[in-house]
Amino acid sequence: MASLGGRWLRRLIVVGYLWLLVLWPTWYVAKNTLVGGFGAFWDLLRLPEVTSALEVTARVSVIAVAINVVFGVWLSVVLVRYRFPGRRVLSALIDLPLSVSPVVVGLALMLVYSPAYGWFGKPLSSAGVQIVFATPGMVLATCFVTLPLVIREVVPVLEELGEDQEQAARSLGAGTWQTFRRITVPGIRWALVYGLVLSLARALGEFGAVKVVSSRIAGKSMTATTLVEARSQFAPHEAYALSFLLAFAGVVCLVIVALLRSLGEKS
Amino acid sequence: MSIEVRGVSKKYGDFVALDDVSVSLPTGQLTALLGPSGGGKSTLLRIIAGLETADAGTVAIEGVEATHLPPQKRNVGFVFQHYAVFKHMTVAKNVAFGLEIRKHPRPEVQARVAELLELVHLAQFADRLPSQLSGGQRQRMALARALAVSPSVLLLDEPFGALDAKVRKELRDWLRRLHDEVHVTTVFVTHDQEEALEVADEIVVINAGRVEQVGTPDQLYDAPANDFVMGFLGDVTTLGGRLVRPHDIDVSPTPLGPDAVEGTVSRVLRIGFEVRLTVLTDAGEVVTVELTRTHARRLGVGEGSTVFLAAVPA
Repeated sequence: MASLGGRWLRRLIVVGYLWLLVLWPTWYVAKNTLVGGFGAFWDLLRLPEVTSALEVTARVSVIAVAINVVFGVWLSVVLVRYRFPGRRVLSALIDLPLSVSPVVVGLALMLVYSPAYGWFGKPLSSAGVQIVFATPGMVLATCFVTLPLVIREVVPVLEELGEDQEQAARSLGAGTWQTFRRITVPGIRWALVYGLVLSLARALGEFGAVKVVSSRIAGKSMTATTLVEARSQFAPHEAYALSFLLAFAGVVCLVIVALLRSLGEKS
Repeated sequence: MSIEVRGVSKKYGDFVALDDVSVSLPTGQLTALLGPSGGGKSTLLRIIAGLETADAGTVAIEGVEATHLPPQKRNVGFVFQHYAVFKHMTVAKNVAFGLEIRKHPRPEVQARVAELLELVHLAQFADRLPSQLSGGQRQRMALARALAVSPSVLLLDEPFGALDAKVRKELRDWLRRLHDEVHVTTVFVTHDQEEALEVADEIVVINAGRVEQVGTPDQLYDAPANDFVMGFLGDVTTLGGRLVRPHDIDVSPTPLGPDAVEGTVSRVLRIGFEVRLTVLTDAGEVVTVELTRTHARRLGVGEGSTVFLAAVPA
């Protein structure tokens, strides 16, 4: 049996660690944001460059998450329900965005889609389609980094569900699409929403990959995170206000996820 | 013939699940596919349902060539060992599924669901979720769901395999009665010979990917085509180098005929109403004999007694 003092000491170390690493810095952001009062914070958020950055971030995140949900579910079904050569390799590749630095992802996208030297970008650009330095590039980069989040939530649930229900639906006359919509989707719905919220949180905070492929024109193509970085030295109050908002959005996502988890466990 | 299987083969990698199987399953009957685990009986059932595709051979259902039809076009009802209930739907919604897919009008669906839930004794559970039902109730619901679409054949894959012994026995009796009421051509897979003998009109014994014998329960039990069928359908023991059923051996304290074999009782085991003797013959054979308790008491046999054994002519 550990002594009472030892137990308290261990707790203190853990709490202290969390305080220094997470709570103190976050609290400092909040403090600095609200130093001039809530009105000043609100005024900062209404600066045209800030609203524009928030708009860009929202647009890119929503499109990326929507694409991610469709392809995430599709890939999950392919990975779980079909046996084909290279399945394990594909499964391992899906985790790549988690282990590769986002900056590298941005650079890779540049190599492919840059109108100047990208092998895919040149023909696209001459056809009038701009990928990098435009919204499609930022969406692509965000899709890349959020790819594993939906799949890693959905795959284990699909595996646990098994094929029995789907086969039963087939034998009762349901076609592929009807089976998917009426049986598969309800079966994975909590995992799907969970993955969606996680993807959204990750998309809102994405910085490295998006920075490389965006043209970074303040008030036009700058995202919230890139604006934070750009302003952190010369207009720290704007940076604090945006940071606070991003952190707040992240916390909201976490709360939603926690609520969904408990809801999903109940049903 | 309701289901005609011709020359069906199926391999999983190097493993031969079915090897050129041909079998005809008659209309309106309750047929059991009986055999040991891994013998290919479930694979055959799934090929009939269209849930697996055969490497070779053809399947016809009610005279319709079905080999290349997807499962939803075969009009078969399938019941899975682990129920395969739609977890997110109520009992009534589960049963209604096939009818709703077929876009039957609402009042008709409701009437049919009510009728089926009545048939499987689940009427009072219509609005519950499957998770609120016991295993036996879930399987009855799965049966109602399969019957709802009026399938031309009903296929059951080890339907009672996941249930405990008592519920199993109840459901078995109930399936037999249900079949006598509904008369849909039914094929069920089982590895339990007692289940097959008790419920089926006809049994197809499948082992190692081949059909060993097809016949009524009596034909199979009394005239097994080979040692495998004999051994699989009931207990066997060897007497004088021949396979015999332990209850088909006459035991007496004195030799009853010229063929009687002399031996010593080495063990007496009582299981309920039955007594099982292990007899060591003078020729060195270990023979198991089954008697009723009354018979054993009348003979007065105990460990160490000398007995004479003779096979009862079939």
